[in-house]
Amino acid sequence: MPRVILHLDLDAFFCAVEETHNPSLRGKPFAVGGKPDERGVVASCSYAARRRGVRSAMPMSRALRLCPNLIIVPARHRLYSEVSKQVMENLRNLTPLLEQISIDEAFLDISDTREPPARIALDLQTAIKNELHLPSSIGIASNKLVAKIATEVGKKSAKGDGPPFGLTIVPAGQEAAFLAPLPANMLWGVGPKTEARLAELNIHTIGDIANWPESDLIRRFGENGRDLARHAKGQDERPIVLERETKSISQEITYSVDVREDKVIEKTLRELSGEVARSLRKNDLAGKTVKLKIRWPDFTTLTRQTTLSQPTDNDEEIIRTALKLLREVRKPNQAVRLIGVGVSSLGAPIRQLPLWDAGNEKSRKLQEVVDELQDKFGKQVIKRGDVV
Amino acid sequence: MKVTVLQENLARGLSIVSRAVSPRSTLPVLSNILIATDEGRLRLSATNLELGITCWIAARIDEDGSTTVPARTFGDLINALPSDQVQLTLDVKSQSLHVKGGTSNNDIKCIDAQEFPPLPVPEMEGAIQLNVVDFKEMIQQVAFAASTDEARPVLMGVLLSVDKDKVTMAAADGFRLSVRKALLSNPAQQPLSVIIPARALNELARVSTDGEEAIYMVVPKNRGQVLFRVKDVEVVSQLIDGTFPDYQQIIPRSYKSRTLVSTASLLKACKQAEIFAREGSNVARLDIKQSKGEMQPGEVEISATSEETGKNETIVEATVDGGSVLIAFNVKFLREALEVIRTPNVALETSAANAPGVVRPVGDDNFLHVIMPMHLG
Repeated sequence: MPRVILHLDLDAFFCAVEETHNPSLRGKPFAVGGKPDERGVVASCSYAARRRGVRSAMPMSRALRLCPNLIIVPARHRLYSEVSKQVMENLRNLTPLLEQISIDEAFLDISDTREPPARIALDLQTAIKNELHLPSSIGIASNKLVAKIATEVGKKSAKGDGPPFGLTIVPAGQEAAFLAPLPANMLWGVGPKTEARLAELNIHTIGDIANWPESDLIRRFGENGRDLARHAKGQDERPIVLERETKSISQEITYSVDVREDKVIEKTLRELSGEVARSLRKNDLAGKTVKLKIRWPDFTTLTRQTTLSQPTDNDEEIIRTALKLLREVRKPNQAVRLIGVGVSSLGAPIRQLPLWDAGNEKSRKLQEVVDELQDKFGKQVIKRGDVV
Repeated sequence: MKVTVLQENLARGLSIVSRAVSPRSTLPVLSNILIATDEGRLRLSATNLELGITCWIAARIDEDGSTTVPARTFGDLINALPSDQVQLTLDVKSQSLHVKGGTSNNDIKCIDAQEFPPLPVPEMEGAIQLNVVDFKEMIQQVAFAASTDEARPVLMGVLLSVDKDKVTMAAADGFRLSVRKALLSNPAQQPLSVIIPARALNELARVSTDGEEAIYMVVPKNRGQVLFRVKDVEVVSQLIDGTFPDYQQIIPRSYKSRTLVSTASLLKACKQAEIFAREGSNVARLDIKQSKGEMQPGEVEISATSEETGKNETIVEATVDGGSVLIAFNVKFLREALEVIRTPNVALETSAANAPGVVRPVGDDNFLHVIMPMHLG
């Protein structure tokens, strides 16, 4: 029995989220990202902007030259990840066999689902559109490779001004035929370099690769050649990877301009530590090792870490440890380009209770209340005094 | 200096005092052992400035004198000599100690005794007299619960309080508390409360081997020191300055469930659980279950799980008075407490999964141990 793999990709996700919060953006050329005078890049751009040549990962200054009336919307990553979580939850309702590969993309194994794949795909697109106001594109095939390419094909062939809402289904057995006319660079593992070397052999489409002798591909490209040959024929056995084991949880930020004020840097570190602690608690984890990452204006990057006596998921404790590490490595008023904090050596949040409380248990209780309020009313409803 | 001693006496004396040697001190003389003739005996002393140990051994003294000998060289050499007489002769000018044992002749380079920090000469009047057997047991039952974390020096000590004929030792590392009481045969004239480094007490327990002798303790005024004398050994230690936490307040006054169980069975179960628990956070779960019927015993199910190595589960019969409880402990803490309990049965008093548990030997009110549970998240 061939598998049925569904690949879902949210169309211009960040922009779509911004549009739901600010309907006046609808239909206009806008981009989510940093300001052009602050080394900003385009994180996501609306379809109107795309038609003017704006692409994601492009420096914002260049995007503005291509599209002078481009509206720049500052990124709200926390909002996006919350919306993303809602989408993923929606998908998990359909099947637990879900592999999230990025904030706006996931694979689902729907082999054992009773309804026909096309029905499932349309229902999903409708549900996500109605409940979360987000457009999405879907590709369905017998494996991950072809499903993902199917989504891309669907998006590219879309006409009109709005989001693509693509839906492409590749029936089992049709994989090679579906891939054959597509350009070689749509295949995973074909980057600009491989593409150029293939072009020298007069190989331009995926079908060209499939027709080329496998032994020659292996001779030229080594193990990658073997994968190329198999992928070009639409073969991919990789299973859905259910849950990636989390090894560490971290947060970092690059300042738009280098910062040397101690207070500002320490405030950032408090915020980042708080976010790390919160995501530890959300994932029911605690970690023993706290790591500080710092990048100076000359791009040299240092990390410093320390191991605690027992695992923690507590804001206070992570902040205290991170600040101590910061003060050990950084001189007062020393300029900083990037700062980050992470917690590793993760495990269940088991901790030895103390005979007499040095304040930790109190701060944990406070934490629980704050978490509850933030879950109910949003992150802005209550904050630590030292990060306001 | 010219003295003759028996190899085994010297070897024993060196093994007693060498525990106070500080081998990596910036002060070279602290790596040495002071040897000095002292009223017909040979005195051996070592100190790391916090702890000092002195021991007197029998000797034939032909010429008085003193020097300091490198502890490691001297100790290793004496242990390697035949069990016979050893002659020690110091060349004062070169500070070279000639050590002759059997046909073995050795010269060791020494440091002048003048450089050795002076150890207090105790005034033993008004000393508190302690029974060696009791005192050693008190130390064994309490000192292990002291902290090894240098960030909280007070907890690295044992609180020793004397009031009339009562003596109490208490130690707590922040997660567990051990308290042991005993009676003095001679009431003390003055009440006393001092924090003694756990390490010093452990050394004292090690050197006081003779069960028949008494230990004499003095705390000279305003010196911040405590002195113990047992037979021919003296231990002097700096006291820890600070306030010991009010431990009475930590001891629960009531319980919801009291579990009576064989000390040996529970200890065995803990040791088995620890084999798996030590791979992770050392946590073992105790599922304390009430008896299901009149003829059936209650039980304690001890279990531990390791993601890497596997899991363990042991059931121990128990008399459970009160409700069933599920509680998790650091199994090492529980094992260490059970190991120092001498009575055949032990009582575990609990109230809730996040409230302290109390371990008491059944039929002995002089000892109790409080352990905070682990929170399972």
